[in-house]
Amino acid sequence: MSSWKSLLLRIGDKSSEYNSSSDFKDHIETCFGALRRELLHSSSEILPFLLQCSEQLPHKIPLYGTLIGLLNLEDEDFVKKIVENTQDSFQDALDSGKCDIIRILMRFLTVLMCSKVIQPASLVVVFETLLSSAAITVDEEKGNPSWQARADFYVICILSCLPWGGAELAEQVPEEIERVLVGIQAYLSIRRHTSNSGLSFFEDGESGGDIEKDFLEDLWERIQVLSNNGWKVESVPRPHLSFEAQLVGGKSHEFGPISCPEQPELPSTISAVAYGKQKHEAELKYPQRTRRLNIFPASKTEDLQPIDRFVVEEYLLDVLLFFNGCRKECASFMVGLPVPFRYEYLMAETIFSQLLLLPHPPFKPIYYTLVIMDLCKALPGAFPAVVAGAVRALFDKIADLDMECRTRLILWFSHHLSNFQFIWPWDEWAYVLDLPRWAPQRVFVQEVLEREVRLSYWDKIKQSIENAPALEELLPPKGGPNFKYSGVDGQGKTEQEQALSAELSNKVKGRQSAREIIVWIEESIYPIHGLEVTLSVVVQTLLDIGSKSFTHLITILERYGQVMAKLCSDQDKQVMLIAEVGSYWKNNAQMTAITIDRMMSCRLVSNLAIVRWVFSPENIEQFHLSDCPWEVLRNAVSKTYNRITDLRKEISSLKKGVISAEEAASKAKADLEAAESKLSLVEGEPVLGENPAKLKHLKSVAEKAKEEEESMHDSLEAKEALLARALDENEVLFLSLYKNFCTVLMEHLPDASSDVTLQSLKSIHGDSMAVDLEESSTMEVDDENGIPKKSQSNGGKASNTCNVKEKEQWCLSTLGYVKAFSRQYASEIWPHIEKLDAEVFTEDVHPLLRKAVYSGLRQMSNEL
Amino acid sequence: MASLFKDPTKISAYRDRRFNGTQEEFEQALLNSTTVYIGNMSFYTTEEQVYELFSRAGEIKKIIMGLDKNSKTPCGFCFVLYYSREDTEDAVKYISGTILDDRPIRVDFDWGFVEGRQWGRGRSGGQVRGGYGKLVQRELEAQRQLVDYGAGSLGTFPPVMPPHYGKHGGGHGHGGSYRHGRDYHRKRHRDDDRHGREAPKRNSDHESRRASDHDSDSRPEKNPRFRESGDSDDEEDNDNKRRP
Repeated sequence: MSSWKSLLLRIGDKSSEYNSSSDFKDHIETCFGALRRELLHSSSEILPFLLQCSEQLPHKIPLYGTLIGLLNLEDEDFVKKIVENTQDSFQDALDSGKCDIIRILMRFLTVLMCSKVIQPASLVVVFETLLSSAAITVDEEKGNPSWQARADFYVICILSCLPWGGAELAEQVPEEIERVLVGIQAYLSIRRHTSNSGLSFFEDGESGGDIEKDFLEDLWERIQVLSNNGWKVESVPRPHLSFEAQLVGGKSHEFGPISCPEQPELPSTISAVAYGKQKHEAELKYPQRTRRLNIFPASKTEDLQPIDRFVVEEYLLDVLLFFNGCRKECASFMVGLPVPFRYEYLMAETIFSQLLLLPHPPFKPIYYTLVIMDLCKALPGAFPAVVAGAVRALFDKIADLDMECRTRLILWFSHHLSNFQFIWPWDEWAYVLDLPRWAPQRVFVQEVLEREVRLSYWDKIKQSIENAPALEELLPPKGGPNFKYSGVDGQGKTEQEQALSAELSNKVKGRQSAREIIVWIEESIYPIHGLEVTLSVVVQTLLDIGSKSFTHLITILERYGQVMAKLCSDQDKQVMLIAEVGSYWKNNAQMTAITIDRMMSCRLVSNLAIVRWVFSPENIEQFHLSDCPWEVLRNAVSKTYNRITDLRKEISSLKKGVISAEEAASKAKADLEAAESKLSLVEGEPVLGENPAKLKHLKSVAEKAKEEEESMHDSLEAKEALLARALDENEVLFLSLYKNFCTVLMEHLPDASSDVTLQSLKSIHGDSMAVDLEESSTMEVDDENGIPKKSQSNGGKASNTCNVKEKEQWCLSTLGYVKAFSRQYASEIWPHIEKLDAEVFTEDVHPLLRKAVYSGLRQMSNEL
Repeated sequence: MASLFKDPTKISAYRDRRFNGTQEEFEQALLNSTTVYIGNMSFYTTEEQVYELFSRAGEIKKIIMGLDKNSKTPCGFCFVLYYSREDTEDAVKYISGTILDDRPIRVDFDWGFVEGRQWGRGRSGGQVRGGYGKLVQRELEAQRQLVDYGAGSLGTFPPVMPPHYGKHGGGHGHGGSYRHGRDYHRKRHRDDDRHGREAPKRNSDHESRRASDHDSDSRPEKNPRFRESGDSDDEEDNDNKRRP
C-alpha cells in the first residue's frame, strides 16, 4: 500500500505510520504533507480513497475534514470535486433510503463546514429540507403519519450533526440554527411518541414502554443539555481549531440544494390494518439503530456527559457496522476510540444491546459473540470482568427479559464460555437449585448447560461445574438413544416386536431396497400387527440404525425415508412419527431437534404436523421448563420461512433473466428483420434479404433466443406458482400456530373478564408456601398426565427470588414465545392479518394473547 | 462492508493442488461455493458438535467428516455444506480462529466436496498439516496477537478491575484465565517435554491438547470409533517439510 494511503487509513491511530505519536495535529500535518506531494499525480486516486475512508471510519471524520480544509488551500478544484461528489452520493442515499450513508454524510458535511469548505448556511439548508419533509410526513392532512419512522430518522440525523458542529453553527449562524431547533421542537410536539412495546428488552411494567422516552426524545434532551453547556463535547475531537488561522483563508464551495423523496402515499382505505402494514414497512426501511439496554448501575457511566454517551455509541456502532468480518481492525478500533475517558461499560452495554436487539440485530448474533471474545482478549485486564458484570445483571433480570433475548443470551453465553475453557463461577448460581423447576433463572442455567454440552461433551461440562457440583442435577441426561428394542428390557409383548425389529435391521444390513421393505411391511407386518406396532418398530429401528451421527441419520433417511413416508401418509400418522422420534431421542434434545428438522427437509413430515406435535400434552407441560419444544417449533417455522426466501430470491433472479432474455430475443429478431429487409445482389440481380447462409444463421439465433425467452418465462411462472402455494401454506401454518396458542392459553389463563395483566400474573403468589404448593399441584396439566411433580420438594424452598407459581409462569413463558414468534415473522404475518383477525383473534380471544401478538407485530392497541 | 482493510481478491491463501483447473477457476469456485473446509480440529470432535457450532451461521445441509484413509476414523478436518452463500461467508468470517473442543479451528471456503476428499491425504492415512497446518499456525499466531493489541486509549489505562469474574474473589479469573490460556499451549508443551521426546515430530499444539485432556478416559467411550493416536502427516505426493 502506498504510504499516503496508509497514512490516511491510520490517521488518528497510535501506529507506526505516525511513530506512535498520539497528537492529532502532528498526524494531520504529516498526512497533509504526504497528500500535498501526491496531489498532482494521484488526485484521481486520492479522492475516492479519502471519501471511502470518511465513510468507513466515521469516527475519524473530524481529522479527514481538517485535512480536506487544508487541501482546499492547495487545490480548490480537488476539494470542489469532493463536495460535488458528496452532494451526488447524498442525494442518491436519500432517494434510495440508505440510512447509514445519509447519517455519515451529514456528519461529513458538518465537519466540512467546520473546516470552512462549505458555508454554514448551506448546511442549514440541508437541515431545513429534511425537517420540512419530516414535518409534512407527520401531518395528518398533507402527509402520512404511518411513515413517522422516516421523519424521525431525518430529525435524528440533524440532531446527530450537532455534537460535531453545534459550536460553529451557534457562533456563525446563531439565528438560523435556533430556527432549526425551534422547528425540531415543533416537530416533536406533532409526532407521536414511539412506543417501545414489543421491542423492549424487558417486560417490566405494563406501561413502562410508554413512559420511557423514545430514542428521538432522548436525543433531543441530550442535545439541549449540550446546547446549555456551550456545545462542549469531550468525545468529539476538534482538530480544525489548531489550524483555524489557515483554514479561514480557504474558499467555501457551493453545496447545492437537495431534495427528499416524495411522501409515501396513503393507503387507499384508511383502516388500522392498512396503517399498521405501512408502519411496519416504514420501520423496516428506517429501523431504529439501537435501543439502550441500561443494565449497569449508573455509577459506571455517570461521569459521562449525556451527549458523550450518544457519541461513543455512534462510534461503536459504526465500527461494528464497517468492520464486520475484520476481526483485528474491529477489536482495535473498538478499544481505541478518540475519547479521553474510559468506556468499557458503555462498550459492553452497546454490544449487548446489539446482540439482543429486537426484532433483529444488524448481523447474526454469532458476530457479536466473536467481537466480545476478541475484546476479552484485547483487554484481558478490563473487559472480561465487565462482560461478567453484564451477564450477572441480565441474569438478575432474566424473569423480565424478553423470551427471544433469553434464547440469544443462552446461545451467546454457552458459546462464549466454550472459547474460554468453560470457566465460570457457577457456585454463585448454585442457589437456583432451590428454586422451583420453572423459575426462569433455573431454566436459564439448565439451558446454558445444555448448549455447553452440545458444543463440548457431558463429562467436560460436568467437570466445569465442579465449584458447584450440585448443579449436575441441571445437566441434560447423558444423551444416548432410548431404543425400545435394544433387548435390554424386552418384556412380554415386545418380544415379538423385538424380533420384527431385528428382522428389519437385518434387511437393512443386507442392503434390501426401500421398495422391498415396503412390500415386506405391507404384506406381513401391517396387516398382522396394526399401525401402532408397525410404526413403532419401523421408526425406532431405522432411527437406531441412523443414530451414530448426523451423517448416518441423513443416509438412513435418504435410503429408507420412503418406507416411513409410505407408512405415515397423513398428518395424524406424521404426528405419531414425530412422537416416536421424541421418544427415541428423549435424552437428547439436540438429536430430537435435528431429526425432526431433517424429516421436514425430506418432506417426511409437514410443518403442520410438527406444530401439532409441539402442542401435544407432553410438550405443553414443558413450555415453561425447557427450550426443547420451542427449538423444534423455531426450526419448523424458520425452515418454512427459508424456503419462501429462497423462492423469492430465485424469482428475482429469474426476473432479471427474463428481462435479459427478452432483450436478447428482440435484438435477434431485429437483426433478422434488418437482414431480411436488406437488399443484396444475387447473381447481379438485387434481391430482398441478405445471403441465405447468414439469413439462416440469424433465423436460428432468433428462434433460439425466442425459445430461451419462453423457457425463462415458463420457469418464472412455475416458480411464482410455487411461491403462491408456499405463501398459502404459510398462512395455514400461522393460522394453525395461533389457533394452538389460543387454545392452550385459554385453558391456562385466568378468566379474561378478571382484568388480568402480565404484571398481575407475575405478582400472583401465595402468601405462604403451603398455599402455593397445594394450588400448583392441582394444575390441569399435571392432572391430565398424572406426572409426579418433582418440583414440589424444591418448591418448598422457593422463596425470595421466584414467587411466581407454576401455572402463572407457564402463561408468562408461553405468552413470551407468542410475542417472539409474532415479532420475528411480522413481515410474513402482516399479509395474512385479515384472515387471522377473522378466524383466530376474534372477540373471545384472550386479551393477553391478543396483546402479545399485536405487540409482536408492533400493531398499537391505540391505533385499533 | 469493510473494504478498506481487506483485499477482496484474496479469498484463500491455500491452493488445493487436487483441484483440476486454473487458478482463476479455483478462485471462482471459492467465490461461489457454499462449502467450508474446517481444519485443525480435535480427532474427538463429533458431527453433532460441528452441527451445534456451525448452525449458528446458518442452516446446514451436510457435514462430511475427514477420515483417516487407513483406520477410517476422524482425523482432524471436515467439510460443512450450507444452503446459502451468505451463511457460508458468515461461517468463515465468524468461526475461523475460534475454539471448538478446546482447539482453535480454521474455517475456509472450499471449492466443493467431491467423493474421495473425505480421506486424509497424509502418507500414513491422516490429514496433511504441512501446507494447511502452517497457515493455521500463522493465522492463530496472528489472532493471538490480538491480546497485545490494546494499543488504543483503553489499553493505555491500567486495569482497575480485578481480572476475574468473581464476586467471591480468588479462584478462576476470567481475564486472568485468558492470559493463562494464552501461554497455555507453550507452557503445557514445556511440561510435556517427555511426550515431546517420544514423538518429536508431532504438532506441538495438538500434542499439548491431548496431554491436557483430563478426560481421555471418558472421551473414547463417547466416540468408540475414534483412534487414540496419530497426527498430521506428510502428503503422500508432497514435498512439504514438517514444522520442526
